Amino acid sequence: MSEWPSDPKFLGKDTRRLEGPAKVTGAAKYSSDMQPEGWLYGMIFRSKWPAALIKSINLEKARAVPGIKGAVTVRDGERPVYFYGEELAAVAGTSKQACLDALRLIEVEATPQPFVVDPVEAMKPGAPSVFTDSPNLSEAKIKEEGKVDEAFAQCAVVVDGEFSTQVQLHHSLETHGNTIHVRAEDCTAWASTQGIFSVRDGLADQLKLPQSKVRAITEYMGGGFGSKFGPGVEGSLAARLSRETGLPVKIMLTRFDESLAVGNRPSSYQKIRLGSDKEGNLLAFDLDGFGSAGFSSGGRTAGGGGGAGFPAPYIYKVPNVRTKQAGVATNAGSSRAFRAPGHPQGSFGMESIMDELAVRLGMDPVDLRIKNDPFEIRRKEYAIGREKFGWAQKYKKPGSTPGPIKTGVGVAGATWGGGGKGTKAQVTINPDGAVEVRCGTQDLGTGIRTVIAVVAAEIFGLTPDKILVRIGDTDFPPSGGSGGSTTTPSVSPAIFDACTKGLQQLQTVSGVADARGVNFLPACRKLGVEPIVMQGEWREGLSSSGAGGVQFAEVAVDTETGFVKVTKILVVQDCGLVVNKLTAESQVNGGVIIGLGYALYEQRVMDPQTGVVLNPNFETYKLPGISDIPDIEVILLDMPERGVIGIGEPVVIPTASAVANAVANAIGVRIHSLPITPDKILEALDRVPKGATAGNEELDPAFARVERADGVAGDFVDFLPA
Amino acid sequence: MKAFEYVNAQTPESAAGLIGTEGRYLAGGIDLLGEMKEYIATPARLVNVKNLPTTREISKTPEGGFRLGANVTIAELAAQADLPAGLIEAAAEVGSPQIRAVATVGGNLAQHSRCWYYRQRDLTCLKRGGSTCYARDGENKYNAIFTGNPCISPVVSNLAVALTVLSAQAVVWRKSKEVRLTMAELYADAWNNPLAQNSLQPGDLILAVEIPAPVAGVRSSYLQVSEKSDFDWALVSCAAAGSVNEGKFRGVKIALGAVAPVPFQMEEANALLEGKPCNEASANAAASLILATATPFSHNGYKVPIARALIRRTLLNLAK
Repeated sequence: MSEWPSDPKFLGKDTRRLEGPAKVTGAAKYSSDMQPEGWLYGMIFRSKWPAALIKSINLEKARAVPGIKGAVTVRDGERPVYFYGEELAAVAGTSKQACLDALRLIEVEATPQPFVVDPVEAMKPGAPSVFTDSPNLSEAKIKEEGKVDEAFAQCAVVVDGEFSTQVQLHHSLETHGNTIHVRAEDCTAWASTQGIFSVRDGLADQLKLPQSKVRAITEYMGGGFGSKFGPGVEGSLAARLSRETGLPVKIMLTRFDESLAVGNRPSSYQKIRLGSDKEGNLLAFDLDGFGSAGFSSGGRTAGGGGGAGFPAPYIYKVPNVRTKQAGVATNAGSSRAFRAPGHPQGSFGMESIMDELAVRLGMDPVDLRIKNDPFEIRRKEYAIGREKFGWAQKYKKPGSTPGPIKTGVGVAGATWGGGGKGTKAQVTINPDGAVEVRCGTQDLGTGIRTVIAVVAAEIFGLTPDKILVRIGDTDFPPSGGSGGSTTTPSVSPAIFDACTKGLQQLQTVSGVADARGVNFLPACRKLGVEPIVMQGEWREGLSSSGAGGVQFAEVAVDTETGFVKVTKILVVQDCGLVVNKLTAESQVNGGVIIGLGYALYEQRVMDPQTGVVLNPNFETYKLPGISDIPDIEVILLDMPERGVIGIGEPVVIPTASAVANAVANAIGVRIHSLPITPDKILEALDRVPKGATAGNEELDPAFARVERADGVAGDFVDFLPA
Repeated sequence: MKAFEYVNAQTPESAAGLIGTEGRYLAGGIDLLGEMKEYIATPARLVNVKNLPTTREISKTPEGGFRLGANVTIAELAAQADLPAGLIEAAAEVGSPQIRAVATVGGNLAQHSRCWYYRQRDLTCLKRGGSTCYARDGENKYNAIFTGNPCISPVVSNLAVALTVLSAQAVVWRKSKEVRLTMAELYADAWNNPLAQNSLQPGDLILAVEIPAPVAGVRSSYLQVSEKSDFDWALVSCAAAGSVNEGKFRGVKIALGAVAPVPFQMEEANALLEGKPCNEASANAAASLILATATPFSHNGYKVPIARALIRRTLLNLAK
């Protein structure tokens, strides 16, 4: 079906990142490196209260600090504060130190309010209300297919489990921020963003400027993972400070800021019941779940793309399904879309209970999955993976390794749409043979520049290094935001279309019948002085959606210290036509590492007594380091006939589930909450003295909605700013 | 950070003279600059002590022991192959390669609490002069399981734990002369006093650490367990030193880190091991004695089994 070349030279092969040398030498200028003439440093003043009513904010002393050129409040007049770290004001000055000094002189008159940061506490009767006009706990969404209770009665085996997942932070290595210069008639923004047009449109709206007068530029940026769309509060403040001072203003968040107010993956709590017949055919599924997307959760809002809902029973076909899901508001920073929103939570609960069922049935977990998975490609991936991984040799009775260091294996699957459309692109073929492709997409680090060059090179029969790719500028033909694994499937067809048309035009004008490869330059020379400029756009048939993937994990667990070492991850993933194998594999590696952090290390920790974030840094918010990363083996199913499908999200999803299943297989006991840290392992193994708990305790009271007498927030007087 | 004066000191005497009441000594700066950036420390003056004579050297003492200058970096320590193995192992676990290249012996010993309540810029915990130890009823998974005061922040210096079992002494410039403090003495105040990070008094400056001459047959070992494989604080650390003669422990010392405001050791446990066979049963008996008085808090009971495992493993390493 596909129009893609059937015998490609570059598609599906390894092409190194075009910008690699610029990045490793420091020549690449990221958005945070931009220093336009006269720029000012900007910083944000944040709430030190987790909940408060602000009466007034006085910026006068801050304005008087030497070097300070401007100061604004986020909102004038009385306002509520919903979480620790909420943005209240910002200053701009000639140095970072001037801004730091000014922030300490901002005076706030406020009345602290009761608060709650723990979702389980927040849903209890009598808990402090995050919003005065709506309950913390939203109305549950209930879905039912089939006859669940009757089906459970027919099941040969029924397993129950309670699972929870933590709040994970995006922590892009380049923090959120922009450098923005607002002039009388127009505006330029150098943005660290996944969507340059969303930044342009947001600023145009805020500044009441025509969209054509606002330009957003993102030459290079250091990651977003779903959290960087639109100008954000920080962009809005930079624009206002620039308008006030007449100078470019740069606000790049600090690592501390980054931990508070620019999104996260919401928590989840899941009580699951799953039943099957004795052959392992799934018959019934029941879920009672909730989660918290911080203050943008609960009764007031649905939470949007970063909300607390998650798919269940995830990738499996179960004839009788009942799900009940709710969101809980807490006094915490709001969630945002985070690489595969909802899926890692849904996967962890479902894949954990699947393994429990497999153990009860005495069935191989891979067989159980293949039996109940409706997606043919994924069934094939399990078959490929189990061979490659040596599953049959490695899978053994849970907890059966002799000695204190126990090894185990686990498996899990994932799904994602990964389609994309709507991109436009332009190719210029110059009489000297120079080719330039322009597209208003942006590279959030995934390698789209190189993908564009590969597609263009394939069509012209040139090498990718001969293609000048220009992206990251709203003056170029429009493309969508880079989220939801849509960039490559959206952009590649537009490049294909523009270049194919360009080639045809070149052949027509030059009279060279096949102007590709060695004929390209001679054909161009016949153009005279007029270059060929051709527009192209995304169209049907070159991309599709619906990716499947499976991952296998092997771990070693020290049962005396609780330390988990992941020794191997095998990924078998479909993404349709592989455009550039090297950057696609790089995407897989990155996804697995995020999943590994989710499995073992990462967790935003908030203090229930004071409402603050306790680990707003890389010291105690633990990201996987180089020595934590195992051998990651990637098998991509190259399926050109399906067209291009995005790969960003699906590879994040099953890692934590596979690792959790491997840990359970190793030690013979399941850890029901992420991250799987030594304290939880030791507690699950009953090695911790009585009375001490690590958070792997039963969640049942939360689901029972028990009454609690002391649901009032603790004393917060001690830490109020002087 | 708050603006400060910067002065260079050439001798211990001049350093002590320059420090005043609101000054801080600056060496590697790993700990101090972090505190200053968070406004936890707001010194009016930094006294650079990196140029004090002989403080960047590792040398032999007249008695055949080692003298480690306070400005020797952790990386230099980790690369010094003739030092006791336990000390090299402890140094190699400090921070990251970048941190080890800058951080110093003196700074590692004198570093302040890493309790996340203490380090939170918007809280004023007990150790910072407030009225409450938030960790006691809060998120205390990284906190102490032994303490003699209301603060439950543990000492996190890897070197302190290894140096304790090596019977090392800190050479401290105090009131115009050198005094020698055992590791127990260097941290004793932190056991009782919630405001104390160690026993150093205002103006005290660590100049060096001295390790007694190695005795034939004596070995040492240091192990830690962290949540990550590398570049992470110890949940629990443990060091042991001593010899194993004809299968029996002789002169063994054992100490734990990250479990108490001081390197935690128990003379009775050392005594218990004397002459006992080097095996799991002896090691477990020592561990039981050491851990019998542990009083874990709501989220850190898991440190007890880790400590038990590390005591056994470090002790058995002495026979290897």
